[in-house]
Amino acid sequence: MASINLVPNLSFNHFQTSSYLVGVGNLQCRVVFNKSRKKFPSYSCIRCEKKDEVNKDEVNKDEDKKDEQIDYVTVERPPYYSYMDSTSGQLEPASGARASIPEVEFWPEGTVEQVRSARAPVPTGESLGSPSYGSNPGSRRKSYRASGSGSGSGSGSGSGSGSFAEADVELSDPGLPEVMVEPQEDSEEFSSDYVVYQSEFEEKEEEVGYKLDKKLGVPHPFVDPKIKKPIEGTLTSDEMWWNWRKPEKEQWSRWQRRRPDVETVFLKAMAETGQVKLYGEQPTLTETALYRARRHLYKEERLQAEQEKLERIGPLAYYSEWVKAWKRDTSREAIQKHFEETGEDETTQLIEMFSYQTDREYRIMMGTDIRIQRDPLAMRMREDQIKQIWGGDPVYPTVNYIQDPDEVIDYRGPDFHEPTPNMLPFLKEHGKIISREELEKILEKQKTEQVEVTDIDEAMAKAVDIGENDDEEDSDIEVEEVEADEEEDEEKINRNWSVLKTTPQLRKSKSKPKPKKEGPMSLEEAVGDSENLTDFLLDFEDE
Amino acid sequence: MASSFPLYQPTPCFFSNTQFKGLRHGCLWRPTYSFASSAQNKVKPVQSSVDAAPFPLLQPPQVEESSSELEPVDPDFYKIGFVRSMRAYGVDFKEGPDGFGVYASKDVEPLRRPRVIMEIPLELMLTISKKLPWMFFPDIIPLGHPIFDIINSTNPETDWDLRLACLLLFAFDCKDNFWQYYGDFLPSADECTSLLLATEEELLELQDPDLASTMRTQQQRALKFWEKNWVKRKLSLFKIHSGAPLKVKRLARDSQRFIWAVGIAQSRCINMQMRMCALTQDANMLIPYADMLNHSFEPNCFFHWRFKDRMLEVLINAGQHIRKGDAMTVDYMSAQKNHMLMQRYGFSSPVNPWDVIKFSGNAQIHLDSFLSVFNISGLPEEYYRNAEVLSNAGDTFVDGAVIAAARTLPTWSDGDLPPIPSTERKAAKALQEECKQMLAEFATTSKQDQKFLDSSPESTRTLDAAIKYRLHRKLLLEKVILALEIYQEQILF
Repeated sequence: MASINLVPNLSFNHFQTSSYLVGVGNLQCRVVFNKSRKKFPSYSCIRCEKKDEVNKDEVNKDEDKKDEQIDYVTVERPPYYSYMDSTSGQLEPASGARASIPEVEFWPEGTVEQVRSARAPVPTGESLGSPSYGSNPGSRRKSYRASGSGSGSGSGSGSGSGSFAEADVELSDPGLPEVMVEPQEDSEEFSSDYVVYQSEFEEKEEEVGYKLDKKLGVPHPFVDPKIKKPIEGTLTSDEMWWNWRKPEKEQWSRWQRRRPDVETVFLKAMAETGQVKLYGEQPTLTETALYRARRHLYKEERLQAEQEKLERIGPLAYYSEWVKAWKRDTSREAIQKHFEETGEDETTQLIEMFSYQTDREYRIMMGTDIRIQRDPLAMRMREDQIKQIWGGDPVYPTVNYIQDPDEVIDYRGPDFHEPTPNMLPFLKEHGKIISREELEKILEKQKTEQVEVTDIDEAMAKAVDIGENDDEEDSDIEVEEVEADEEEDEEKINRNWSVLKTTPQLRKSKSKPKPKKEGPMSLEEAVGDSENLTDFLLDFEDE
Repeated sequence: MASSFPLYQPTPCFFSNTQFKGLRHGCLWRPTYSFASSAQNKVKPVQSSVDAAPFPLLQPPQVEESSSELEPVDPDFYKIGFVRSMRAYGVDFKEGPDGFGVYASKDVEPLRRPRVIMEIPLELMLTISKKLPWMFFPDIIPLGHPIFDIINSTNPETDWDLRLACLLLFAFDCKDNFWQYYGDFLPSADECTSLLLATEEELLELQDPDLASTMRTQQQRALKFWEKNWVKRKLSLFKIHSGAPLKVKRLARDSQRFIWAVGIAQSRCINMQMRMCALTQDANMLIPYADMLNHSFEPNCFFHWRFKDRMLEVLINAGQHIRKGDAMTVDYMSAQKNHMLMQRYGFSSPVNPWDVIKFSGNAQIHLDSFLSVFNISGLPEEYYRNAEVLSNAGDTFVDGAVIAAARTLPTWSDGDLPPIPSTERKAAKALQEECKQMLAEFATTSKQDQKFLDSSPESTRTLDAAIKYRLHRKLLLEKVILALEIYQEQILF
């Protein structure tokens, strides 16, 4: 029984002091308020539990306690998530307004100051004085001598009995508001220095018209018609930006000039000779286009006229212009008559006629005689005009590019800052270049080879060569070993064995391409040598 | 109020009932320089002329600041700062006849960490960098304002007070500036004890020709500066450009106002190193509320610049026990003699432990004996009375003046060599003689000074300060004579 009784006793003892202090009804909240860390005792008692236990216990004791019994039972789960806080040993809400605030030591930096500052009591009390805004320092002190004798002339004023009496009055009645800011005697002198604001409001005028409308919300113009005035200084629509036009003669850069092409240059030249008339210095686009069209049309007309002439007078008569030696009549009747007499048709006669044509006449007829100026204008154009069209010398352009004649041309590339490699050892090292002696050696070998190998089949030799090269590529490092192997056992043939078996000369000649290798093989040899050398040195160091 | 006796009467207290006065807290000796005593620079402590004190000498015990004479200040004083996020925690601003002071409103147990009692944001201050790129935080001076030319024309090494005065006057003229409101609580020109405002006769009353001449040159300097920048500038510029001088001219109509501002700047300037983000600069600062803290040679508060939110913190020393009603004090200038304090702040103290008396004779007393007689411990730079070892109850004789004596008396000390009593007494007598000679050189005695102070309560503050200065000098000499007397009696054989 004692053990069963333990729980309520505990709970009772826990709240005993407070229950003495306060009424039972609001006990729980008081407890919670006082000890915020212990909102819910872990040994929370349930009423039913209590009742059971009460039933077991003697009833009268229960009745005694019943009054003081605290009902802090919660049947439902609390409406928030909670956790067992290890620091407080209590069940704590995990979040929300009921979550306990950690101790001051756990507050983040600066929070202490904020809380302290927020908790500072707001000053209360009514001030008796009014600020003088810097004009009268010290005026709100209790002991301020309102006589103002000091402020004017300073310490020289030997505060007379008058000020003393005044102070005495103050002392006797400290509650008296003694802050009377007296205007200084020379204040009006200074008043001219300050901007004087009109402090009183003027009487409100009765609002009519626009203001009234605006105030009432009656439809009214957006701008007060009294205030409204035409906007000055506006631009005409010609001056607005959307009417901007290209200025007529504003060529501030020579790049804005029309680039001279064939047509413009020709037109200018024609204008100079008086064949055409231009309106300005430079031919306009229209003039150029017109020129181009006319030129085309004139050409077409000419060609058409020629064709018509050819058809009208017949080919013999037409072409006889270029055959001076053809003295016969070339009219159509004569041709018809000749046809009837001899049976030669017109074509035959034309061929006959052309057989009398000299080569000079032929060139003139075909237009290939350079001595005849076919386009006198073009040929008569000055050199600068020609260069405008066709440029100058394409190799050394001097006309179409602006260049300082004294300028040293910089041919450096983008990587000019990198040091120029010393090419000769580089190429030598990589086997791209060999010395003359080596070359001569190789050539000698090749000559002897040619002499010796002449009898060998070309195809066979090539095939063998390929095989050798492959070998070298495969085992580049062990070149010498391979070679030694090959020398030692010639029987060992791993590639092209059928060929080599059938032609034993090839195997003999194998030794000959080997020295031949020395030329192009100098690189590999060098590699092998160096490796051997390093190996040797390494071995030497090891030993 | 009539009964309240604001006068600071330290002398009679010391002599008449030494036992009574003294260590209030039971801890170290105390200069008794708390609020009422006089020290406050700001407060321009000197006894107020207002109260009729017919029998001041008969009420010495009340010299301890009786709460009756302290009134809470105008509530607006704190309110104007509070709305600008200045905060005071656990302290009250009170106003006595000697001026403002800050007092604890509750007990503070000794804490391991300093405890914040005030926070003053940078926005309320007036600061000028000490060195040449003049930087103002907050930057209230608009670009191209003629006051900047005036500030710029000052000598960067010496004229910090003139600059600060210009800035202060300009702040008074700025609309909605905090100092327009705060200025009403600064001591006015006739409340200010700064000797800059003293007349020639008052300077003569100092009975200290060196200090008087120094103050004369300072007055001349301030006056010349004002004339140069206000009077002449006004004349010359008016013809050319009538708008420019007005901004400046209305800052200080008369030289009196400017000199007052210089005095305020001198007595309230706090030199601190403030750090703003990456910028660290030494600045001369006028810090509202913090300048209401009074001086003490043994302060219980100190300043700290909190760069995080640019606030000045006033902190109670760690481990300091504060009782309700205690004055919060800081050390204005550490290790400075009375005349320096007088020159800059306009107050002096009879118990300044750093005061010096110049002895010219050969007589020397044994240092260790003298220290042991008065239970003084520590190194010469930091002597203190070791009250815990042998604290005779009520022994309050040892105060700052005795410490000063220990520092300034010609002494000898040679290892363990013990003093010979007869020669010690002879030396002490010789020193006493010398002190008496020095006392005789003054035109008045301390009693006369005291009597004058008592009899003319309506005299100006600066005159009061001047008379107190010479009084304190004499009190120190008398205290030294007394200490030597006690030394002769109690010297160990």
